[in-house]
Amino acid sequence: MTRRTFFFVTAALGYVLALTMAVAAAGGGGGGPDHLRQGYGGPPKLYAEAEGPPLRSIGAEGAHAVVGADLQVRPAAQAAQAPAPATGYVGEDTCLSCHEDRPYEGTKHGLAFNERTPAANQGCESCHGPGQAHVDSGDPALIRRPSQMAPAEVSALCMTCHNRAEHALWDGSQHDQRNLSCVTCHSVHAPQGEGQIKAKTQPALCATCHRNVTNRQHRFNHMPVREGAMVCTSCHNPHGSTNVRLLRAGTTVDEACTSCHADKRGPYLWEHAPVSESCVTCHDPHGTNNERMLVSKVPFLCQRCHVTSRHPPTVYEGYLLNNSQNANKISARGCVICHQMIHGSNAPSGHALLR
Amino acid sequence: MRNRLLFLTAALLLASSSGWAQAPSPLASATQGTPAQAPPAVPAPLFSGTVDIGGLVTTVDGDEARFERYRDTRDGLYSTFNLNRETARYVFDANAFHVGYRDQRYSAAFMSRRVNVDFDWVSVPLNFSYLARTPFVTNGGVLTLDDSAQRAVQGPTNATNDGTAVGVPCAPGAAPASCSTPALAAQAKANRSIYNSLANAFDLRHRRDTANVALNYAATRALDVDATLRSSRREGQQPWGASFAFNTAIELPQPLDQRTNDASLGTTWANPRSMFRLGWNGSWFNNDIHSLTWDNPIRLTDFSNGLAPPAGPYDPSGYSNSNGPAQGRQAMAPDNVMHVVSATGLYKLRGRTTLNGVAQFTQQRQDDDLIPWTINSVINQPGVFAAFPNLAQLPRPTAEAEAVGVNTLLNLNSRPFRRVGFTVRYRYNDRDVRTPVFDAREYVRFDAVPEEGEEGFTHQYDISRQIFDASASFTPSGWGTVRVGYGHEAVERHGRGFSDVGEHIFRASFDAFSSQYVTVRTSFDTARRRGEGFVEADVDYEEGPGGTQPTLRYYDEADRDRTRGSVIVTVMPRDNVDVYTQFGGGRDRYLADDSVPVSRPGELFGLHESDVLSWNAGFNYHPTDVVSLGANYGRDRFSSLQLSRNASPPPDPSWTDPNRNWTLDNDDRTNNVTAYVDVLRAIRNTDIRFGYDYSDSNNSFAHGGPRVAALTAINQFIPLPDVENTWHRATTDVQYFFNARTGVGFGYYFEKLDIVDYSAIDTNGSVGFTPETGEPRIDWLGGLYTGYGNRPYTGHTGSVRVIYRF
Repeated sequence: MTRRTFFFVTAALGYVLALTMAVAAAGGGGGGPDHLRQGYGGPPKLYAEAEGPPLRSIGAEGAHAVVGADLQVRPAAQAAQAPAPATGYVGEDTCLSCHEDRPYEGTKHGLAFNERTPAANQGCESCHGPGQAHVDSGDPALIRRPSQMAPAEVSALCMTCHNRAEHALWDGSQHDQRNLSCVTCHSVHAPQGEGQIKAKTQPALCATCHRNVTNRQHRFNHMPVREGAMVCTSCHNPHGSTNVRLLRAGTTVDEACTSCHADKRGPYLWEHAPVSESCVTCHDPHGTNNERMLVSKVPFLCQRCHVTSRHPPTVYEGYLLNNSQNANKISARGCVICHQMIHGSNAPSGHALLR
Repeated sequence: MRNRLLFLTAALLLASSSGWAQAPSPLASATQGTPAQAPPAVPAPLFSGTVDIGGLVTTVDGDEARFERYRDTRDGLYSTFNLNRETARYVFDANAFHVGYRDQRYSAAFMSRRVNVDFDWVSVPLNFSYLARTPFVTNGGVLTLDDSAQRAVQGPTNATNDGTAVGVPCAPGAAPASCSTPALAAQAKANRSIYNSLANAFDLRHRRDTANVALNYAATRALDVDATLRSSRREGQQPWGASFAFNTAIELPQPLDQRTNDASLGTTWANPRSMFRLGWNGSWFNNDIHSLTWDNPIRLTDFSNGLAPPAGPYDPSGYSNSNGPAQGRQAMAPDNVMHVVSATGLYKLRGRTTLNGVAQFTQQRQDDDLIPWTINSVINQPGVFAAFPNLAQLPRPTAEAEAVGVNTLLNLNSRPFRRVGFTVRYRYNDRDVRTPVFDAREYVRFDAVPEEGEEGFTHQYDISRQIFDASASFTPSGWGTVRVGYGHEAVERHGRGFSDVGEHIFRASFDAFSSQYVTVRTSFDTARRRGEGFVEADVDYEEGPGGTQPTLRYYDEADRDRTRGSVIVTVMPRDNVDVYTQFGGGRDRYLADDSVPVSRPGELFGLHESDVLSWNAGFNYHPTDVVSLGANYGRDRFSSLQLSRNASPPPDPSWTDPNRNWTLDNDDRTNNVTAYVDVLRAIRNTDIRFGYDYSDSNNSFAHGGPRVAALTAINQFIPLPDVENTWHRATTDVQYFFNARTGVGFGYYFEKLDIVDYSAIDTNGSVGFTPETGEPRIDWLGGLYTGYGNRPYTGHTGSVRVIYRF
């Protein structure tokens, strides 16, 4: 398929999709709550708390959540005048008369002034479904319990409202495909961290599965995650993304990285091929033991590709470092002390990235 | 200091206003004696929040900048503020951290029925070194040296050893003018650079300040309008290369003054079945320092031998022997603009099927004024232009650089039956570089020597990717899910080695997550990547593009077999304890191919293999509701093997001599430990938190092969010492509350790094070959540096605070 043909097909599919949804919208329907914190596909979020203890057990979703002693619960707002329960619904007060340990006041779900929240609709029953049968019989099987539901069903439940912005591409995303659900990471009733996550910090939460990645923030060269200036979601959207590796911004690795590091974006007069390919050809953004988070130390990283004649494939070792002017290729900045425009050059004489 | 006092005063005043809000109303006394009424409701506080303020003290032994790195731990005020208000109509929340310091952060959020506004301000310092020194004086984008020092190094004539002072060791000036033997190197190490005594100490660091405002307006239940504005400024200095020749490598403090402004606007319509968003993102990068001009430490004037081209007036070997310009000039990161228009949609079909996707169009442009071919006045003259006519003027005055991207993602996810599901995904990424070709066949190398080469045209690295992925899942018993999948990635490239690369990927996973006692997640994938249409340079295939070995393959596009797997097992014998282990591993093997018929079949230069192995084990335990503890131990190993050949260009026989081959085996092993203990109110009114992190790495670079053996035989090879670093961090925080509102806090932060890195040059020399001193040496063989390097430290930070909640 040629590039032009595929472009046409893609545009046509997009038009059909939009038209289909517009027709479906003619049937009316409301929205759902989703409090946009950033523009979709926009710049990464940077603010974060300092690191704290890791997540407690998440084996059975939500079943073992702990109400932490340091849980910040804001004073409850004055509840809006609740409407009379619809048929099959018993009202929130009835639910709380038994389940007093399951409040959601002080969270975003409890903001009754927002017409999209459970508090402004059917309260507890907005998510758990009509409770009349459960109240009449006391049978826990007669009420919707996310901790006992299949992951896809839980996600579908939350997605009836959380189906835009951050969460629009959940279905079919990497975490969805691995049978994670919303309550794997989030808790409505007993969150521990910002974003109603089940851990105090994002690295602690993500470490439950990605410990090999979160450990890298302790490497010698790292992004400012362990200092609290960045979090995992500064770069990733775990709910689904347009980009590979659940990267938040753009549609390629380069677009994601240059959303902050715009000085590397170019395009340049002289481009460096691996830079145009992907930043992770040379860097590991989670942290490495090499300078500038490179996957290997210079000059050895450069020598993986620059196998020519003369100085690029020279054996740079201890003898040259201590006895030759060629020490400048292996000490300090190595190759990049001359080829400093390593990400691309805008100089007319910059074809070797020297200027 | 003034601002900190003002902020503290404002915070305390706001806090105290809650007391005013709770004061009995004067109206109450006026109603005494009137008929009994229902008791008045207790008013909610006007604001609530926390003021956590006190003093902070830090002591550091060793590399203080590395201890701080992304923080500001100067002695002074510790502060964290939180302010919030929640009513029946809106919620407001504001936070401030470390007010007035280089790592300060602020945030505020307002949410009402229809409007959501978020504001963030984050300052992130990057502290390179407080031990740096430089003889350069910075004025905007111009860095100058003391003229008398340059004159002393250059000497009265253009003779190589005319100078009376050393500028750069092993470069022209006072002897030695080059170093290739231990004796000459010893002489160079002893004869210190004149700039060593002229270098001034400075803090090498910069800071990124980012302000972000996000607005969301819920026009209706279904319709949102969102907008963001972000402005990020990076200002300060960073270590930067600025060299003149093979033996005149310069590292100087590059001045930074850059700003990136981003804006986005979007409209989202959604109902429970569908969603559609139309959005635009714009990004503008501006660099106030477009070019960098800096003095040559070994020359005050541009070299001229008075001859005519091709023998002069420049030195035809000036790029290697340092007989070049008095100044250098390089183009810094250019201003650039990016616009992105996107459409995102989601629709829920029948049978628990969802279709979602995005189409995105990107335009990137950069049209900076180009700097001239060279700053060298000896080259910028008619005599040289007569021999190199293209150097008389630029082909065009500006870059005219542009790239256009088309990106599409379509996902179809379906669960037609409770136990069966499938997902199909298609991704298309296309980057079309439209920058007009720039003819630089005649150019100036290192501002020293004009040259002409056949491969002097700019390259356009277009990339087009199509990625198809399909997977099916089956949950036979409700206890676990098996998923199998296939993916194919097809890449078309322009300007690289292969024109077409395709990769087949097979994957399988098993997830058991329903049991309350154990969770198991496993995955495995294997991939096979092959390229076609390799671009050769010469008819006889003796050289690849750019003078490379014809059997070199770039590892980001080379033929490759990949295998990866992971296992995560979590056991929860009781609901207050979990024990887990995580294992992950991957293996990449790069393969020779027969794209080019060379006389060395099976030969492969470049990366041969790359492996990663990682495992972790740990636990979390909550014996009571007020005590929690846990620990993790992990071990990572990254290893790679690459092959190269140390040779001269053809027809030199070394070009094809396998005895000139050498390998490099990089083996990086790291041990990690993390532990924490939280004791919250187990002791009356007291919260205690303790955390510990540890990372211990050994990174070895081992050369091998016949070329290394030959160098060893003539005593010209010394193995590199391993790069070792051991890092500890311990944090303690104790908070005691006298009552519900007031308390005190005590914090202690300890961090220690021990490191041995041969690329750091201390006053003794290369660390690892000589004992570290922790003090930089800025003049080493072939280079003049800032002294930035990896050095050890031990740091302690303590804080004492007063905590007030209202």
